[in-house]
Amino acid sequence: MRVCYPPTVRNRPLAASTTRSQRRSSAERAQRHQWPLLASPLIIFLLIFLGFPTVLDIYYSLSAVTFDTLRSPQLSGLGNYGDVVNDPAFWGAVWFSLRFGVLTALAECLIGLGLAIFLSPLLVKRSWLMAPLMLPLMVAPAMVGLMYRLVLHEFVGPVPYYLTLIFGNSPSFLDADNSFWTLVVVETLQWTPFAFLLFYAAYQAIPEDARQAAQIDGASSWQLLTRIELPLMAPTLAVALFIRFIDGFRVFDNVYTLVGSGPGGVTASLSIYIYEAFFKQGAIGKAIAASILLFLASLLVLVTLSWLTSRRKGAAT
Amino acid sequence: MIRALRWLVYVVAVLALNLPVIVTFVTSFKTGAELTINPGLWINQPTLDNYLGVLTITDRLNVYAYLGNSLLASVIGAGLAILLAFPAAYAVARGEFGRKFLMPAIVNLRAVPLIIFAIPIYMMFQWMGLLDTQLGLGLILTIVNLPLAVVVLVNAIADIPIELDEAAKIDGAGTVAIMFRIVRPVVRPAIVTCAIFGFITAWNEFLFGLMLTTNNAVPVTVGASFFFAASGGGVQWGLASAVMIVGALLPAVLGLFMYRQISGSLTTGAVKG
Repeated sequence: MRVCYPPTVRNRPLAASTTRSQRRSSAERAQRHQWPLLASPLIIFLLIFLGFPTVLDIYYSLSAVTFDTLRSPQLSGLGNYGDVVNDPAFWGAVWFSLRFGVLTALAECLIGLGLAIFLSPLLVKRSWLMAPLMLPLMVAPAMVGLMYRLVLHEFVGPVPYYLTLIFGNSPSFLDADNSFWTLVVVETLQWTPFAFLLFYAAYQAIPEDARQAAQIDGASSWQLLTRIELPLMAPTLAVALFIRFIDGFRVFDNVYTLVGSGPGGVTASLSIYIYEAFFKQGAIGKAIAASILLFLASLLVLVTLSWLTSRRKGAAT
Repeated sequence: MIRALRWLVYVVAVLALNLPVIVTFVTSFKTGAELTINPGLWINQPTLDNYLGVLTITDRLNVYAYLGNSLLASVIGAGLAILLAFPAAYAVARGEFGRKFLMPAIVNLRAVPLIIFAIPIYMMFQWMGLLDTQLGLGLILTIVNLPLAVVVLVNAIADIPIELDEAAKIDGAGTVAIMFRIVRPVVRPAIVTCAIFGFITAWNEFLFGLMLTTNNAVPVTVGASFFFAASGGGVQWGLASAVMIVGALLPAVLGLFMYRQISGSLTTGAVKG
């Protein structure tokens, strides 16, 4: 691999005495060999715990295997992939994950952005007010899913209780029709603080000059927001939307503990589909083939994204 | 006027976002009898019986074991991630090593659905005898923590002026000595943040705890769900609530005290990564 030094080192004028500069360059050459050594524990760890499982994944996805023949898989071509692609439940899970990821990312970013801008004057002076807003991020999503079983329970849950008290009846939040939207709200309420944090930091980072210049030019506070502040926060918005989409797309914990795959499998996300294929149905080959497809899909998205950002960076300079 | 509105929005946001925690907290102080007639948010006759019940060991449920498993696995998961990430981050920040391949691979790991690796790791652990052990769970939690640890540490090290390293080099210090004696103390706050955040993330992990443990190494996120598995007369909601409060207490308290550092590292991890 090509080794390039940071500019500060490269542009440094050579030392006056030749002996010293020679000694230094040999020291630097020695140091150059140390970099891979320093990174090697991490690389070896990743190869063992991610590299090897990936190879195993690919091999097993092409094999006929059951729990009885776990150690002696028979190569069988693309049959497992066929099983997955022909399974309507798989496409149901893909559709659930896509919808869930998009809707929760949009809701979290919209609410988070609004809160960050509107509450900023309060929070700047009293930063401790941030702590209660961040509390949901500290609670395990699996626990939050369990907690909502209580919150939404038809007999002991406060939400149905108060809704019945006020409106005379309460929807059953976890039935086939409502469970998707219940989960969207649950996920959104837990992760809005994450989006809020990113936007709050970006909002604070807007240089004061930019605001003052706009105000001197007679911009109203609405114009200041839409013409100066929001455009400056656009990169953060893209990052937040992407991260929240990814996390929503691969959701498992709270869905699993609140409803599992739901009535008739309506709330099976891709992660839950893979989990259930493996542990409940024992369809190892199918579960692994589905994982590989998911892996390829995320790789495609990530490579495209890094290609896009590097092209944008290249265009900017 | 607008100030009052801001306060109102703040209070509503805090209450709505924390609704499940508030409800669970209130319920954990109710008796079973009260719960059936009063599901609301006030308590007529507060009781500590649920907590006493949780903290009493029975054959079926032992909350100390779950907490101990979570603690051990999370300490491994947070500590090992830092031990692996720090030298690598130093090589990336100072030697520009791995900018092309290693860094993107690790950063993108954050965006890969980890369930992909869950099944082969399950099989691998079965062969290695790591299934249902705290060490095995800790090793996987290390993987979960690595991306953020590497990004935060690379940024922290890159922020130190390189003159500091060079001054030490002229004094005759080797790379390893510079890394541990000069750089490590300066990036200590970043390391502490990584440790705290890694610990919270590891404690709150669920998927691998569910798949890789059955008896001896069950973490509290998975153990708590056992209290919901109805045994005869249905779920004991007061008891289940107390378990969840106990299980969520440590990360919540850590998070409330360290919110400043955590928000900083979350923002760095997202924006720089």
